[in-house]
Amino acid sequence: MSEFVSFTVVGLVTGCIYALIGTGLVVTYTTTGIFNFAHGAVGMFAAFAFWQLWQGWHVNAVVSLVLTLFVIAPAIGLVIERLLMRPLHGAPPDVLIVVALGLLLALVGAAQLIWDPNTFRRLPQFFNGSGFPLGAVRVSWHQVIAIVATAVAALLIALLFKRTRLGIAMRAAVDSPPLLAMAGGRPTLVQQSSWALSSSLAALAGILIAPIYQFNVILLTLLVVDGYAAAIIGRLRSLPIAIGGAIGIGLGQNYIIEFASGSGGFLSRIYNILPMVVLFVALIVLPQDRLRTASFSGAVPPRVASLRSSLVAGVVLVGVVFVLSAHLSIANLKIGANVFAFALILLSLVLLTGYGGMVSGGQMAFVGLGATMMGHLGHGGSLVGVVAAVALSAAVGAAIALPTLKMRGLYLALATFAFATVMDQAVFQQILGTGGSIQVDRLRIPGIPTTSDRAFFVVTAVVFTLAAIGLLAVRRGPFGRRLVAVNDSPAACATLGVNVNWTKLIAFTASAGIAGLGGVLLGGVPQSASAIDFAALLSLVMLLIARVGGINTATGALFGALTYAVYQGYSPHLPHLLQNAYLLTGLAAISVGRDPNGFGGRVAQLAERLRPDRSASETPDVPTQATGPAAVFLEEEAGLVHVGS
Amino acid sequence: MSTSAADLLSPYDDRAPSGDPVLEVSSVAVRFGGVNALTDVNLTAAHGEITGLIGPNGAGKTTLFNVITGLQEPTQGKVYIDGREISRLSPHKRARLGMARTFQRLEVFGSLTAYENVLAAAEFHRSWSEDDTPPRDVAREVIRRVGLGSVAQARVDALPTGLARLVELGRALATRPKLLLLDEVGSGLNHDETEALGELLVSLARDGISVLLVEHDMELVMAVCDLIHVLDFGRIICTGTPAQVQQDPHVQAAYLGADTDAAEATA
Repeated sequence: MSEFVSFTVVGLVTGCIYALIGTGLVVTYTTTGIFNFAHGAVGMFAAFAFWQLWQGWHVNAVVSLVLTLFVIAPAIGLVIERLLMRPLHGAPPDVLIVVALGLLLALVGAAQLIWDPNTFRRLPQFFNGSGFPLGAVRVSWHQVIAIVATAVAALLIALLFKRTRLGIAMRAAVDSPPLLAMAGGRPTLVQQSSWALSSSLAALAGILIAPIYQFNVILLTLLVVDGYAAAIIGRLRSLPIAIGGAIGIGLGQNYIIEFASGSGGFLSRIYNILPMVVLFVALIVLPQDRLRTASFSGAVPPRVASLRSSLVAGVVLVGVVFVLSAHLSIANLKIGANVFAFALILLSLVLLTGYGGMVSGGQMAFVGLGATMMGHLGHGGSLVGVVAAVALSAAVGAAIALPTLKMRGLYLALATFAFATVMDQAVFQQILGTGGSIQVDRLRIPGIPTTSDRAFFVVTAVVFTLAAIGLLAVRRGPFGRRLVAVNDSPAACATLGVNVNWTKLIAFTASAGIAGLGGVLLGGVPQSASAIDFAALLSLVMLLIARVGGINTATGALFGALTYAVYQGYSPHLPHLLQNAYLLTGLAAISVGRDPNGFGGRVAQLAERLRPDRSASETPDVPTQATGPAAVFLEEEAGLVHVGS
Repeated sequence: MSTSAADLLSPYDDRAPSGDPVLEVSSVAVRFGGVNALTDVNLTAAHGEITGLIGPNGAGKTTLFNVITGLQEPTQGKVYIDGREISRLSPHKRARLGMARTFQRLEVFGSLTAYENVLAAAEFHRSWSEDDTPPRDVAREVIRRVGLGSVAQARVDALPTGLARLVELGRALATRPKLLLLDEVGSGLNHDETEALGELLVSLARDGISVLLVEHDMELVMAVCDLIHVLDFGRIICTGTPAQVQQDPHVQAAYLGADTDAAEATA
């Protein structure tokens, strides 16, 4: 019984902290209409700032806390509002997603640069964990503070929203800032207040949760991200439901631990992943607020390369790789192979996100499945491993796609990211071991040397090239037109007889299969795979690199991968400030990631300018005679029509 | 050439009028919260005829189209195609029974060219029907009939709205429907263009395609429609030939009422 009570207390505390996180998200969403994906990183960053003041510089605990909650955290919120969110008002939803994800990674990277992850740090509980007996259990002051702080914060926010002018203006602000301004409100002030407030809430949550669990940049960020489930349960609008859901998750987690103590390892693994499982299920089950959604593929995607030009480019690419392979060092050959492994992974995003408009925040899960399968079944580089890797990744992709087909934009990104987190924590860390690794052999084809570093470099280039040529051929054909059409207008497709869900399912499955093949290549470079290679945050890195490189072109995939893999290979030789991939990816996404076509789009544009006549779109031999309403239109209002060609 | 150009556009199965209406809407009602968007709507569209559906803005015309095509679930009522009840079918299954529509708020495939929009629709049709006419032949014929030849290679999101609507018309035609639902396909067209549209619609009907036409241009509606249904505040207030509808006091009240309101607003 006393055990039950103590688990209840711990669960209540965890739940309260999730409630703070959820509350912060609801505050920004209800006032600005933005779901702040970077909320977790804000909480993490503020908790580290608090540590720096209190433990690093030995400032008094209360002073440190006040400074963090009421100066540093609001300042972070204000900077985010002023520099990132305000200029984005009215921007396409895909840009908002890219910027929020970029901010998340940039904050993680910046924290890692400031607070070296290899140094051990401890954030103590308040009053050093001391407490008092309550019946048969001991309750710490830290726990009391967590519960009281949550209750006070929830109460104050409820009062703010219901009773104050500012709060009412905050609720009005989301629908139309100009309208609020006309009614005498000050939308800018309102938005600033809400960003400052939600940052403080994230900070409080981070400070409270870090001493209970782990004080590590990435783990702490993910702990705060666990609290997103609460906001989704509250459908991003209802504070009471979000808080109730949060406490439910906290209690559930700790009751599982209690039961798990008798039943061995499996249940205790669920403990970690429960919030993300709840997030995933809540996204499926609860009808969510309609976020502004739009395709992720850019308003004006570049023209698709013709078969001829993609064949020529492919032959040139493989030729260059072949010649180059004779001159590269072993280290550079491995970097080169990594380029094509990552390029294949990004190509899976070109299909899914670039063409199909489905935003995946979990692609590394499929990559990890592929590598793990190759490691287990591909001994001696057997083809069975490759086939199994692709098949399993595709099958899991289909299983994840089925319940998420109706989701768009940010919700799909959240659901797939939740899936990647679950795979990371419950599968890869268990199968591969938290610090361990498994052997992944390179594919062996009888009669052809494929396993030396030089040969493997060429093999990866050939695999990527074939996949890219194939993908472009599909894009030019009926399925490609269908996928793009479904992305442009699902409603029109349905009324033209297209099974929209089936089309999306095929794209999702194929994309997961390609990512799985990417995993086979990626594991083959070092001939090993470990859980950190498929960490959940890397899925976001892949998405953003694909976006910066150009998410709707094969050129973009190759460019993104080239930059990433070469950077990764050489970053130990760079100055300290440039050594963090999360920071650079995040900054790149925030700055140039707004261009929906990325670098690949620029190249395609240039190519079009150089050879404008070589169009890959279908060319009909239609007489341009002047009958039919459109012909009359063109005759009478020719000035209105500007046709590029 | 075994099939003539005109045959490429005609419905792919038997074209002989069966006497039954191709479309029947029976006691359909739609409520959004407390608002009755549609109340007890009954209407039919006959084989090979152009049926008009008119009414002031907000009367519920687009909502009715959404109910017929399956994008909006009605609160009550049934929809039949060729006597078969389709009320429970998903939109794509309904389309496969031979109906296609255009949208008042454009739903083009903006990142594809005009020709690819039409070609894609022809390919969709090929994928779910037994008809094995090459999609390119169908698309070429549609482009010719609608007159989109000289903008066939332009991306549709770069076209003016009037032309984009005609691309939607072409796209719908490319699925070789027996029933074509047109939601203000003529808005954005001037007099001559509307006249050409009317000619096209009449020739389509002659080829055996039934048309349900939502349109604000009364001249066009009165010129081409065999039968007209008038919708006002979610109810059918009149059904009849163009001449009957023009004489009907309810219709005059609905339209004149709107006119007096407008007159007061401008005064």
